[in-house]
Amino acid sequence: MKKILNDPESYVDEMLDGLCAAHPEFYRLVGEDKRAVARATPGAEGKVGIVTGGGSGHLPVFTGYVGPGLLDACAIGQVFASPSAEQMADAIRAADRGAGVLRLYGNYGGDVMNFDMAGDLVEMDDIETTTVLLADDVASAPPEEADKRRGVAGMVYAFKIAGAAAEAGKDLTDVTRIAQKAADACRSVGAALSPCTVPQAGKPTFEIAEDEMEMGMGIHGEPGVWRDKLKPADEIAEEMMDRLLADIEVASGDRVSIMVNSLGATPPEELYILYRIVKKRLDGAGADIVMPLVGRYATSMEMAGVSFTLCKLDEELEGYLKAPCDCAFWTVK
Amino acid sequence: MIGVDDLRAAAARLKDAMEQEFDALNAADGKLGDGDLGVTMRSGAREVAARTDQMPDDDFGMALMNAAQAFTKVSSSSYGTLLATGLMAAAKETRGKASVEPSKVAALIAAARDKMMARGKAELGNKTVLDSLHAMVGALEGADDPAAAAVTACRDAQQAFRDKPAQIGRARIFAEKSVGMDDPGMLAMTRIVEAVTGRK
Repeated sequence: MKKILNDPESYVDEMLDGLCAAHPEFYRLVGEDKRAVARATPGAEGKVGIVTGGGSGHLPVFTGYVGPGLLDACAIGQVFASPSAEQMADAIRAADRGAGVLRLYGNYGGDVMNFDMAGDLVEMDDIETTTVLLADDVASAPPEEADKRRGVAGMVYAFKIAGAAAEAGKDLTDVTRIAQKAADACRSVGAALSPCTVPQAGKPTFEIAEDEMEMGMGIHGEPGVWRDKLKPADEIAEEMMDRLLADIEVASGDRVSIMVNSLGATPPEELYILYRIVKKRLDGAGADIVMPLVGRYATSMEMAGVSFTLCKLDEELEGYLKAPCDCAFWTVK
Repeated sequence: MIGVDDLRAAAARLKDAMEQEFDALNAADGKLGDGDLGVTMRSGAREVAARTDQMPDDDFGMALMNAAQAFTKVSSSSYGTLLATGLMAAAKETRGKASVEPSKVAALIAAARDKMMARGKAELGNKTVLDSLHAMVGALEGADDPAAAAVTACRDAQQAFRDKPAQIGRARIFAEKSVGMDDPGMLAMTRIVEAVTGRK
């Protein structure tokens, strides 16, 4: 695998330098080792802070979604590795505007442990924290073990909705409740065609034959549900919709948003081919589609593949989803 | 009595041991995980050793807290964070005390074990470092030579679990493959205890 880089060890630091240099109106680096990104202009005094964090390699997740109406700060680890508890504590301190901070991130062992530890560290600074975990990947565990599921692209909806609630002046309890409701409303499933290479490892995260795909594969190459010959787009889309609709009830008159997301290398052309079937299936269920998102929202560097995320809305969630937000990767007016 | 100077000496031995075990721990971890356990332990032990002059002479708990923060600073891996969690739990038990009686060490390890169990969401018997800690707690009760008892307990636990499948974490994905292999975290704890007790 060819990659454009200098030293693998400096991959993340150089990426962050470039990101902040390109978009100084949105992002600034904070913390002793510059591994937390905060809003260029902090939120209003008394606003609830929202932080996230996780490994690099998923842009726009996580760092990209720092901005007005979205996140306040984000801790960034090496590619696919958790940030340290100290870096997360830096992000929490940067996000704190005196009204407490929500930790909103994906359900991965290392991230959970470090964010819990970061909570212990900022307790000494009298910052109140709460936690909401994204566990939206239906292929990663059965419904009866839903708490073991991994968090994937559903976090984009949770960032948007919780971010808007915090911007609207809701208190920590309310922002946490709304974030949890958004997390609970999301279901995702992915399919991968080719792996990616972690710079420091220098070799692909998994091996797959040229003519094969893997259904249900995780965003870091975690094993999926089945591996077989690559299927036509419509068949892939039908199966992915089957898996989502088997996990969450969508009835006639329901309002849903749907994300058709590239894992990195898959071009928008192919996403739109898939979207035809997504639309047909949701129309068939009698659902109204609100603000469909088609593009690169949560990636795995150069992995080829796609994920679908369905977010079932109620009036409150829809209001916050449609509220304004701004960052280098996503603007809602 | 075990004092802060003993902790400093143990930190120096731990650093030397982790320099030596770097490749072995990476290799053991690479069979079941991402292969960076040697990296975690070496950078953590180096940072602990580098900070020993900041450890207050009259507060064993603050000295342990200093070691815990060294691990949270340099490492974000699950194992590094778990060790820091355990050290912080032991630090809370000994805050304000200049030294610790050897007979109290079992209680400190038990406190670490319990907090690490809660944070790691693992149970005893899952083939993790918790099983090593649990074995030490049992072996230290009334032991004539606590250091030797701790080392033996770690080695015995590692061997007793070798032929069991891993039940949690990334190694769980390779449960069958893990049968017959040492759990990397248990292996690391054996090396840690050998180093800090000086009983290799």
